[in-house]
Amino acid sequence: MTEKTAACVEMYGVSKSFGEVRALDAVDFEAAEGEIHALLGENGAGKTTLMNILSGLYRMDEGQIAIEGREVDIHSPQDAIAVGVGMVHQHVELIGNFTALENILLGREGSRWRLDVEARRSSVEELAANYGLSIPLDEGVKSLPAGIQQKVEILKALYHGADILILDEPTTMLTPHEVDGLFTILKSFARGGLTVVFITHKIQEVLDNCDRITVFRGGRKIDTIPREEATREILVRMMMGERGMPPEGERPTGPSVAREGEPALSVRGVRTSAKWGVPLTGVAFDVPRGLIVGMAGISGNGQKELAEAVAGLIEVEEGEVHIDGEEVSALSVAGRIARGMSLLPQDRIEEGILPGLSLAENFVLGLHPHIFRRRGVFEREAAHELGRNAIAEFNILARNEHVPAAHLSGGNIQKTIVARAVMLAHETGGKVMIANNPTRGLDVMAASFVHGRLRELRAGGAGVLLISEDLDELCLMSDRIVAIYAGEILGAFDGPEYDIYRIGALMAGQREEVS
Amino acid sequence: MSLLFDISLFQLTMLMMAPLIIACLGETIIERSGILNVGIEGVVTLGSVTGFLLTYYSGSAIIGCIVAALSGSVLTLLLAYFSVTLRANQIVIGLGIFVLGLGISPTIYRLAVGVVQSIPQVPTLKEIPIPLLGAIPFIGEIFFAQNGLVYMSYFLVAAVSFFLFKTPLGLRLRACGENPRAADTVGIDVARMRYGACAVGGLFLGVAGAYLPLVISGSFTDNIVNGRGWLALMLVIFGRWVPVWSFVGALLFAYVDAFQFKVNALPQFAKIIPPQFLLMLPYVFAMIVLVQVARGAESPRALTRPYDREARD
Repeated sequence: MTEKTAACVEMYGVSKSFGEVRALDAVDFEAAEGEIHALLGENGAGKTTLMNILSGLYRMDEGQIAIEGREVDIHSPQDAIAVGVGMVHQHVELIGNFTALENILLGREGSRWRLDVEARRSSVEELAANYGLSIPLDEGVKSLPAGIQQKVEILKALYHGADILILDEPTTMLTPHEVDGLFTILKSFARGGLTVVFITHKIQEVLDNCDRITVFRGGRKIDTIPREEATREILVRMMMGERGMPPEGERPTGPSVAREGEPALSVRGVRTSAKWGVPLTGVAFDVPRGLIVGMAGISGNGQKELAEAVAGLIEVEEGEVHIDGEEVSALSVAGRIARGMSLLPQDRIEEGILPGLSLAENFVLGLHPHIFRRRGVFEREAAHELGRNAIAEFNILARNEHVPAAHLSGGNIQKTIVARAVMLAHETGGKVMIANNPTRGLDVMAASFVHGRLRELRAGGAGVLLISEDLDELCLMSDRIVAIYAGEILGAFDGPEYDIYRIGALMAGQREEVS
Repeated sequence: MSLLFDISLFQLTMLMMAPLIIACLGETIIERSGILNVGIEGVVTLGSVTGFLLTYYSGSAIIGCIVAALSGSVLTLLLAYFSVTLRANQIVIGLGIFVLGLGISPTIYRLAVGVVQSIPQVPTLKEIPIPLLGAIPFIGEIFFAQNGLVYMSYFLVAAVSFFLFKTPLGLRLRACGENPRAADTVGIDVARMRYGACAVGGLFLGVAGAYLPLVISGSFTDNIVNGRGWLALMLVIFGRWVPVWSFVGALLFAYVDAFQFKVNALPQFAKIIPPQFLLMLPYVFAMIVLVQVARGAESPRALTRPYDREARD
């Protein structure tokens, strides 16, 4: 890309607080026309907050914004659209029950009294063709895969007249092929004069795809540097500051280190009914003792259902689940826990904690048969002691064991859940750990904590099933990776080295040719 | 058997159907915006007292209906204030509105009327047969020889359907009920849409209330609504938030209601079947039908969820 033309977006001294938390502290930001500008930083560094301010979703406490040299007041998304800012949110903001076309037209239907979707179709199609986005316009958005939904969002932003396009973590839900495709499109946008700002925490993406990089840390802007001056080391130092990167854990060694004996977890031809969500259609795989098996797949392909079927939360219609050689499909959740199973649920707030209850009470949950001496009696002292010990041992940031769990940050809530699962594993012998997206939304330090605990369990001889949408995480952690698509396992790969494009193809449902 | 297909039974069915569908349409508009109005019974009750009193004092049913509509709108806007601006729990506030409406209506009535020997009466609305259409045998006599409010209910079914599915504003309203953040990010003012839905939906609820004294009883009694508000709430689910299907449900239910009304009036049945049993029929019917129909019904996704633009997930 050639040297920048005039700055297209300028933000000065932007500050924003949420309650007592200062999310942005006097941040300056500037992006030029026709460039791809990356906002790099950890979760919680303030990147998304800044862009939410630019797109009108949040109001800044202080600061100024200028678009193409003119100062603007952005008080609502409407104002932002009027000055040409469009944002594609991380969890796409579409209406599942509307068609793609209705979603694109919403808010700019082109007439006042009569909704005529057909009349606008040709202009949307033309726009889509111009920008190289192919979308089935008449499908309900709910049934479209994540990659297509994202294209719908991009097209929607363009249809609403965006010439500054912001994308928040656009690659998290995509396969490697789709990521390449997305950046090809974004580069052509930039060549066409659009300003593209993309938010990410992945350094490699930044190095591969952008013209300039602005790094955030702890609500402050560290610096903006051109791509040519950036290296991985420089970016890491800017992102992490004095703390540096967390120590790299030992790399997986591959399936050769599997311990002797029955696999820790064996899933054999499991089918579930569609009433629980995505039906599983004969899922079969083993998690040997002392290994981490990663499960790759795009969100919503049966991972949650699989985790729940193994844990005993949903009914297995056909097939068997074995824990440590014992068939457990007929057992209750409690029965499986007693045999050494533990689960880190995907939605940590909804399924992981009791938000209104104290940390101590949250720790007791599930551990109660082991720490209370008398059956059926809640022993306060034992509970408080457990809470105090856990807070100290697992380094959880909380004033004491009496604070409600919901008051903690996302990272500390996840630490709490992991701590509980690990303590439970100690009590029950810890045969199997099912971790469903255990590091989603966590900062690097908290994620490293979770990874460390999973490695400890592996070293202790447990079988760990790590379900994740982050292929990089899986490659880093897993001795073996299986790919799931539409409730079916399409293939398995032995580590420690992986070809992410082959895995990505299976995640997208392309079966491998039988050679 | 001829009892089941009696023409006067069908005429009575249409008469009973109108208040149900009018209330149901109002509730559909409100719920499509993402607000669940469980106070509907209270709002309808308020509509019937204001509608009755104004008709009684002014002598004009039209004035009565207008005031009833406005009072319904005001009470529903109170719900909007609590659930949109203050983001309170809609079920709790709705139940509060229900109790408020149910309590304040007899109070207003007593304050206005005082203690009297004979209860005040208004003449019930006359049938206005539509020329030509009303002359069609059977069909015409059932559908087109009714009072004006019944005709209005036909019109409203069509109008609300058109509004929801064929206008830009309807698309935006549904968007607010499905995913308010998505609506917000394309520049739709979610709070304004929800207030608007409550204001307009409330008009419908008020008219549905006024219908009862103006058409059915000619006077106001404390339990005049008698669960019809709740039934309208059920009919919304029955119709899966689609006016035409709610209309079908309202017809079915009104038919059973009319049937029990007719049978109760016949002396030869009174000896065999206790009247209480017949009175219960429509509600039992509603329950059975709903249990079957509601299975798998998908409500607007954001129903009962307050929207806070700056909420962080």
